[in-house]
Formats: sequence, structure tokens, C-alpha cells
Amino acid sequence: MRLWNRGKTEDLGGAWSLEKPDRKPRVGEIIPKVKTGWAKRFGRFPGVPGYITENISEELIRLEDLVKIYDTGALKVLGLKRINLTIHRGEFVAIMGQSGSGKSTLMNILGCLDRPSMGHYYLDGVDVAAMGPDELSLIRNRKIGFVFQSFNLISRTSALKNVELPMTYARKGKRFREQRARMLLERVGLGKRAEHMPNELSGGQRQRVAIARALANEPPLLLADEPTGNLDTAASVEIMELFSRLHKEGTTVVVVTHEEEIAAFTERIIRFRDGEVVSDQPNVPREPREYKKGSANESGGHGPGGAAAPEGKEEPC
Amino acid sequence: MLIENMLMAFSAIRANKMRSFLTMLGIIIGIGSVISIVSIGDTMRGLFEELYRKIGITQAYIAIGYWVDDWRQSDYFTLDEMERIKEIFGDEIAYIDSDAFTSGDAVCARTTVKFNYQGIDYNYQEVQPVNMVYGRYLNEGDILGRRKNVVMDTASAMNLFGVENAVGKTFRTTIYGTMDEYTVVGVYKKDLNPFQAMMLGSNADGGEAFVPYTILTWPNDYFYDIRIFAKDEATMDVFFANLKTYVAKSKGREPEDFVMNTAKEQMGQWDSMMGGLATAVGGIAAISLLVGGIGIMNIMLVSVTERTREIGIRKSLGARTRDIMVQFLTESAILSACGGILGILLGSGIVTLGGSLLGVQAIVKPGVVVMAVGFSAMVGIFFGIYPASKAAKKDPIEALRYE
Repeated sequence: MRLWNRGKTEDLGGAWSLEKPDRKPRVGEIIPKVKTGWAKRFGRFPGVPGYITENISEELIRLEDLVKIYDTGALKVLGLKRINLTIHRGEFVAIMGQSGSGKSTLMNILGCLDRPSMGHYYLDGVDVAAMGPDELSLIRNRKIGFVFQSFNLISRTSALKNVELPMTYARKGKRFREQRARMLLERVGLGKRAEHMPNELSGGQRQRVAIARALANEPPLLLADEPTGNLDTAASVEIMELFSRLHKEGTTVVVVTHEEEIAAFTERIIRFRDGEVVSDQPNVPREPREYKKGSANESGGHGPGGAAAPEGKEEPC
Repeated sequence: MLIENMLMAFSAIRANKMRSFLTMLGIIIGIGSVISIVSIGDTMRGLFEELYRKIGITQAYIAIGYWVDDWRQSDYFTLDEMERIKEIFGDEIAYIDSDAFTSGDAVCARTTVKFNYQGIDYNYQEVQPVNMVYGRYLNEGDILGRRKNVVMDTASAMNLFGVENAVGKTFRTTIYGTMDEYTVVGVYKKDLNPFQAMMLGSNADGGEAFVPYTILTWPNDYFYDIRIFAKDEATMDVFFANLKTYVAKSKGREPEDFVMNTAKEQMGQWDSMMGGLATAVGGIAAISLLVGGIGIMNIMLVSVTERTREIGIRKSLGARTRDIMVQFLTESAILSACGGILGILLGSGIVTLGGSLLGVQAIVKPGVVVMAVGFSAMVGIFFGIYPASKAAKKDPIEALRYE
């Protein structure tokens, strides 16, 4: 079976299709996705709105005066205080901070799970701050790949089906989904475990399935929330190496973590405290083999990590 | 997407087999009882219709109304009047006789059997065919000559003579006070199903025989009512009305003074009675469907709460409100429809079993089956709306945090 290049379509994920095109598209030609019949009337297949187009801008994320206020009734808590931040395409960024520093709030907003109270959030050149829930769903589906601390695979569903899920919500064809899901599992080194259920996989394997799932719709942004939080040292290294590899292949990766060792893999570290950015520094990624989990608790441990801490020490929760 | 949803629903149902089955049980019982009651009703109606076809759906009786006080001799019918009716309405009458009926003890040697005699014309075989096995039917000569010949069924022959082939055998009986000797000229075989035998009254020890109606109108040739079979079922209502008017006029009375009793009307009464009964009991059974639907809603609410995290994951992967809604609606609809299908199997199984025990062919109409499945799916969708919308409205962040 071969994939046919249908040129650049309005439907982002549909650049490659299993269906043979009517004619050979010219390079860069935009083939409109034609809705017919009841699908057109009822909008069964949401034609991807015009604002979702591949953006030529180098800026993937731009936050302008972003404010998040939590209204708990009696008092208002300022979650984020006027954040201004730009992340370019192809960056490998760590967002660090203690719990309560606002990094989870930022994560939720970056992931389009939550909306800012004020300010603008341009994702891929589109201001998503004012979007409704269903539009945000669409953005999450096409633009963002999530990797969670607790893997968040759907139980009783095979690894393959888990990876297929975002493509299902993107209304991709069955054969396309399965082929691409197998390819992605192959890419994260789990080609032979496609039919396994999540509870038959180790933590590291589950996280790799989650990463494969995050990549399903070729999102421009990969967002990882404490991706190694539930993993042991070896698996953590595996996962971070996988992120490094994906980053080298051109994916923009944003990792939220409180562990210096994890942040050390990235190229840029943004530190948060009390809802504000306190530092934003470039980082020289450390060689993976130097990593030893729990070896250094001080911040900014750039040098080779000593073998101080005992093996198997769990990270603080 | 629909197939995906259905597969998801099936896997969710499989994951909690016992719970799903118990939830379905309400629907199974509801649909099962509705199906069996409707089918019993349909079967009964079918049996009655068959019965009336057997005794002649085009049949009618006309007689002076029992409410008429100033009864006169002329309210009786005579053979001459019957001949006149035959002449006037000849095109529409398939058969006409005096509806004469009597009973008496038939004696043959030392055997005495209580017999019922029905007076018929020679062409009765055309409207009420019987399967002659021995001898011949009554012919025109028997009727006009008032010959004392009879035709009986095999069971009666067996009772009276001890053999089925009783052609040529004679017996003595008293009709209207006169004892005479009668000759059997033919024997026929009855083919009734158990229900018809029950409704028509089986005469296990006694006997039945057809005699020329002219014997029973003897000696004065007056009789109380006329029995008619119309030729055409489609136009018979008009014909019967015309006949009633004619008879009343010829006797100097109003049409309202005569009673016209048609088989179709009688059947219609049975039919509407059966239909009404089935609807009433079916309505009560449908209440159990409502209860089953509430059970589904309850379990779906539990399921939605249990799967809050899954909902959060799906939303984070790009599921829209509608996707989640459809997923849970599909699940409750499938749960309910599965219950409906099992209920149909249960209901039709009960009806078929009962029917075969009673020796009648049970009728389970395909339309009823389709309606039952559709209805149960609708129950599932209706009672799934609230849990599904609850699921769909969940905030993704809250849902992801849920343990």
C-alpha cells in the first residue's frame, strides 16, 4: 500500500492519504475539502476553519500579558501575573518551578485545556484565548500532543487503539489510522507491542505509547507534563532521549518539570515562581549517559552528575 | 466514527458483564412481556379470523328483532319468500337456507347417540366445503324430494355405527315428533385445529349430520330466520342492508325491527375486544420498560462518574462535547437495544412454546419485532441523554485530575 501525496489540503492532517487523488496535484496546491450531502448540512466533518493553517511564522507560542485569575468566590487568586513569553519552532524548552508556582496553570493554558483570564495566547499565529470549548478541542486535536505524568492511556484499549484515538477524533479513515499508529509505535520502539493492553506494559512503555499517541496528528507542539514523574531512572532516561530525538527531528517540545535532571536535557529553561517568570536561560543539553536520577538536588547542575545518590531513590512527589 | 463508538460501547459493556446484564434485565423483561402480549393478541385474532373464515365470513342471519312486541305470524319466513329473495338478489347470494337446526337421539341397533341436525341446501358444499371421504354429498333431488338422507362426519359415524364408512347404513331418529328412518349417503372428514374444535364445541360422544333443510321446515314451512352467504365480500355490507330493507318492506315493518347478524360484525367485535385487551395489558407491560430505562439512566450515571478520567483524556486528545455525548448515547442505546433483542427472543420463545403446547401456530409479527428493537433503543437514547450530557459537559482539567 502506498500513500498518495494529495498536496497541501485544508485539512491539516490530510496531506497524506490512502485514497488515490483524482489527478496529480501541483506542488503547494491547496485542495479544498469538499463536504457533500448531509455531512455538509450538519457539519458532521468540521471543515477545518480558516484560522488553522500552517503558519510560516517562526514563533510557535507567543504569550502577551497573560493573566490567569482563579475566582474562588470569597477571594481572587492570581495564578499567572502578566506573562510574556515566546517559544520558537523547533525549541526544546523546560518549564520549571515548585508546586504552586503557576507552572501547571501555564501548562493547562498552553495545552488549551484552560483559557487565560486576560491577555493573548498566540499558538501557531492564532489567538486561542478567545476560543470556545469545541474550537479548543479542535486545536488540541490538531496542534498539541499531550504527554502526561500518569500516562493517561485509556484502559482496556490496546496500545494501537490508544494511538489511533486522536486520529479518530480527526475523522481519519480506519486503514490510515491503523497504518500510521503502527508506524508511530515502531518509531517509539514498541512495534511488537501494538496489541498489548496498557496494564500489560511497563511504565516506560506506557509513556512511549503516550508519546506515540501525542504524535498521531503531527502536531507542531509536544507538551509534556512531568513526563518522567512516575518512572524509574532508566525509563526516565529512555523517555527524555526519545524527546531529544523528536526534537532533533524538528518537533517543538515543551516539558514541564520540577526536576533539574530532566530539565538538563533541554535547550532552554524557564523558571517560574509565584506566577511569574523569574529566569529564562539557554541550556546546553547534557549527554544522556551522564544522567543519574536524584543525583543532584541543587539547581543548575550543568556539570557531569556524580553518582552520589543511591540507585532507585524515588523523586519527591 | 459510529462504528468506533459502537466498538467502544461494546467493550465498555463487556468490561462490566454482570452489571450490564442486570441493567438490561429491566429492558429484557419489559420488551419480552410486550412482545409476548402483543403476539398472544395477534395469535388470538389470527385464530378468530381463521375460525370465521372457516364458518364463512360472508355469512349473515336475518330475523325479526327480539325486542319487537307486536309479533305476527307474517314475521316468520316461508319457502316462497325465500324463493323470492333468491330471485331478486340472485346475483349477490352465494347460498341461502332456512338456518334450520334441531337435535334428537339417533338409534342404530342398540346404540343411541345424541345427534345435532343441520338443515342445508345441496349447494352448501360450495360455501362451506367439507372433505368427503365416502359416498356423496346431498343433491338437489334430496332437497326437493325431502328425502331422508343424511351426510355425517367420520367421528359421528364412528360413534353411531362403529365404522367410518357408514354409507348405506340407516338409523332411526325423531325430528319434530316424528320418528323416521334415515339413510347415510356420505361421510366427510372434519379438519379443525384444537382452538376451532374448542370454539365450535366438540361433540365427542354425540354426532352431527347434515339433512335437507326442507325436512326441517316441514310440516308448515314457516321458519324464524334466513341464513345467507354473500357472493362478494367487498360489496356484502350494501347487499345485507338492501336485503334488510326489502324484507322489512315485504312484511310491512321498519328495517329497524329486523336484526341482521353478520359474521364479519361478530368477528370485528372479537377483534376489537382482543385488540383492546392486548393494548391495555401491553401498556401495563410498557411501564416495566420505563423502569428498565430508569435503570439504564442510573447505571450510565455511575459509568460516567467512574470514567471521568477517561472523559478528560478523550477531551485532551481533541474530543468535542458532541463526540463524548455521542459516545455515551451510543453506549446506552446499545445496552438498551441488546436488552430489547434478548427480550424479543424471550417473548417470542414464550409465545412459541405456549403455542406449540396448545397446538396453535403462534404469530410474532416482524413489524412488532422491529418496533420493539427501535423502541428499546429509543428508551436507551432518551434515558442516556442526561448522563451523556453530564459526561460531555465535564471540564477537561477537572476530569483529568479526577482519581
